[in-house]
Amino acid sequence: MLEYVIRRSGLALVILLLAVTLLFAMIHMMPGDPASILLGPKASPELKAALNQRMGLDQPLLVQLARFYADLAQGDLGTDVFSNRPVLEMVLEQLPYTIVLVLAAIGGASLVGIPLGCYSAIRHNSLLDRLVGVMSVAFIAIPSFVIALYLLLLLSVKWRWFPAMGAGDSGDIVDQARHLVLPALALGLGWVGYIARLVRTSMLEVMEENHIRTARAFGLSERTIIVHYALRIAVLPTVTILGLGIGTMLSGALFAEIVFSRPGIGKLLHEGVLTRNYPVVMGSVLMTTAFFVLCTLISDVINAMLDPRVRDGESS
Amino acid sequence: MVVETPLNSRRFNRRVFLRGTTLAGLSLAGAIPGISWAVRNNQLHIRNYTDVSSLDPPFMISGAEGVIANAIYQSLLQFRSDGTWNTQLDAAEYFAEIDATHYAFRLRPGQMFSNGFGELTADDVKFSLERAIDPTLNALNAEDMGPFSHVEVQDRYSGTIVLHSPYAAFVPVAIAGGTAAIMSRKAVSAAGGRFGTEPPCCSGPYLFREWRAQRKTVLERNPDWSGPAVAFDEIHVYAMSDVKASETAFEAGQLDCAEISVESTAHFRKNMPPDSKLKIYPSGRNYWLGMNQSNPALQDIRVRQAIQWGVDVNAVVEAAWFGLAQPSTGPVPAGMLGHRPSSHVPPAGDPARAKALLVEAGISLPLRLRLDVNNDALELTAVQVIQWSLKKIGIEVDIRAQDNGTFLSIGREDAGDQWQDIQLFFQSFVGGADPYYSLVWFVSEQMGRWNWERFSNEEFDLLNDKAIATTVQVERDTFYRRMQDIMEDSGCYRFVTNGVMPQIIRNTIQPAFQPDGYALLRDFQPTKGEV
Repeated sequence: MLEYVIRRSGLALVILLLAVTLLFAMIHMMPGDPASILLGPKASPELKAALNQRMGLDQPLLVQLARFYADLAQGDLGTDVFSNRPVLEMVLEQLPYTIVLVLAAIGGASLVGIPLGCYSAIRHNSLLDRLVGVMSVAFIAIPSFVIALYLLLLLSVKWRWFPAMGAGDSGDIVDQARHLVLPALALGLGWVGYIARLVRTSMLEVMEENHIRTARAFGLSERTIIVHYALRIAVLPTVTILGLGIGTMLSGALFAEIVFSRPGIGKLLHEGVLTRNYPVVMGSVLMTTAFFVLCTLISDVINAMLDPRVRDGESS
Repeated sequence: MVVETPLNSRRFNRRVFLRGTTLAGLSLAGAIPGISWAVRNNQLHIRNYTDVSSLDPPFMISGAEGVIANAIYQSLLQFRSDGTWNTQLDAAEYFAEIDATHYAFRLRPGQMFSNGFGELTADDVKFSLERAIDPTLNALNAEDMGPFSHVEVQDRYSGTIVLHSPYAAFVPVAIAGGTAAIMSRKAVSAAGGRFGTEPPCCSGPYLFREWRAQRKTVLERNPDWSGPAVAFDEIHVYAMSDVKASETAFEAGQLDCAEISVESTAHFRKNMPPDSKLKIYPSGRNYWLGMNQSNPALQDIRVRQAIQWGVDVNAVVEAAWFGLAQPSTGPVPAGMLGHRPSSHVPPAGDPARAKALLVEAGISLPLRLRLDVNNDALELTAVQVIQWSLKKIGIEVDIRAQDNGTFLSIGREDAGDQWQDIQLFFQSFVGGADPYYSLVWFVSEQMGRWNWERFSNEEFDLLNDKAIATTVQVERDTFYRRMQDIMEDSGCYRFVTNGVMPQIIRNTIQPAFQPDGYALLRDFQPTKGEV
């Protein structure tokens, strides 16, 4: 198992470096410079030159990249020349909001989707199964921004049950949870249907397998068979998908952060790209990619822990 | 009996997994700093269009920062809240122009900096103004100070500001505009000579309490403030880049005042929340259709003039600004020195005359031109109407929308060769408190920087120099009007509008804005009898 984790971690690091290098090149190929965008006509050639020098933009791209990695090795993501703040501090300030949002969305979707899918499989072709099927497709088909807007209009503007913006009071978990409900719902609702469909299909397959029949022959209760034998196998593809889903969720988080005026790495990244604030963009991209790679790694490890065939197959 | 197999091992199961992730999520949630939400107790909750990058006056880069700075700092002068660019005394009890390069000031005694940094003195004024042009600091707003040289301190409260050469925009742009806000020498030195989003001291009617990145800035009443009384115990300024989000937050009762998009005004007129009102303020933004006269397709002035006469500005303003804005007569907006009462080409244009100009120029129709525009809903609507207008005179326009960062580079010589290819472009920027800032970007020296039209006129350049070197207002007014005449006669510009800034406001609030739409927080008051 340890060997498996080490091998996967190495691969994750390579993916991270590759992704960041590619993004570095793409970001610097974009036309526009931060001084002109943020300062407008005030950006005199002298000021632009000074800013470019401070940001290291006067150096060849490869030198910039080498410097970025050298600084990164020392835990330095650079300084935002406009606010004069360390980028690492800015990113770490925002990242928890996004992580909480994504985990709340994916956790909520799993908590609802997995039991729904499981129940649909057990009672397949029942009225509830059909209803879940229709609802799942509907949730998947409706874009999350539509869901977000309607949630806002209904639950926030009309009924004022939940706040429309912000992230809640520090130290007040209840207040933070209230602020989290709408963005997490907007982000995760589509996933409820997706997970339910996935679990249902897997469960139907697993329930037909020999070991389930054997368990039944041993006289185990249906509940034990489903929870301990069937679901455990059926949930494997879902765990993989959830790991990858984090990436999709991170993109969606940007939208949720803007619509709900919620702080987060997506918002920071978005504004960084619009203003060509390269250190902030690179810092945000690095952290987001690292988070995504980490989630994928965790899902791989969970898969391997749940199913020895995964790690055995990998070893062989 | 349950047989122990790898499949039902207790070392790792669903419950352990869920328990772990839930705990991890809660731990992260607990680690997050936050804000208090809409507890209205003599508080003002207002939207700012972007987050704060720096509250250090020479380094403030957006109007959003100016909104906060105006409430927490003092300058020698500040703008009145009467919708004009007129100034009034702030920290100074006396301010006068001695001659074109000298200004005398005397501070009101007894004005204190917060955090124990003592009384405001003339030395602090000297420090603050000279710091803005300190070459070692390389301040982003150094250009605002123009030819400022130094401050001579006479005594604890008095001094003389000295300029190298006359600079008519000095008072509105440098002194009242925020770059020369007075900071404590001791406080800034203690902060290491420069600071970011956490000011080491304040002296305005409100004090800085906290800044939360991407969220809000909280201000509180300054108990030591000796100036005109302010209304609120706290002001919460929310950083909300998305205008639609701020509209929703207002409807949800979380904001007391928010700028809304022009297209939402109709919605709010029909469905105004019961305790609210809609007000339309000027924006001070200058929108125009620019023509690159060095591009082969537009070198003939008759073609450019045909475009000027072909564009129906009334239709553009009606469609994009829903009739809320007025056609403009030039970059200098109404109410500002140098504003022209009318343009040479009437807003409606004249398609027949436009066609005649094209025939006279020997252009074979249809003429195909490209129009670059910022990827903004309002501006895209505007250019679509321009496209429709020009189609009527035989000009086919291809619209190319680009993100703001890319768009801002298309006319610049240091950003590649594309400046040669641009033909038409829809451009806008916010001017300043002085007409100088509306027109200086079109001088010959700016060609390839902000003058994308490649417009060059000797008389225009000369008038620009003369207008900034005199403080005789009548003369300046004449110069700036003439400069806009020259711009329009060059055929390089079709002026569109100066825009509007619609605001929704609680009935309990009496807001105050500068003529460019930025909030003057210190002058926000409760409506009579509401507090």
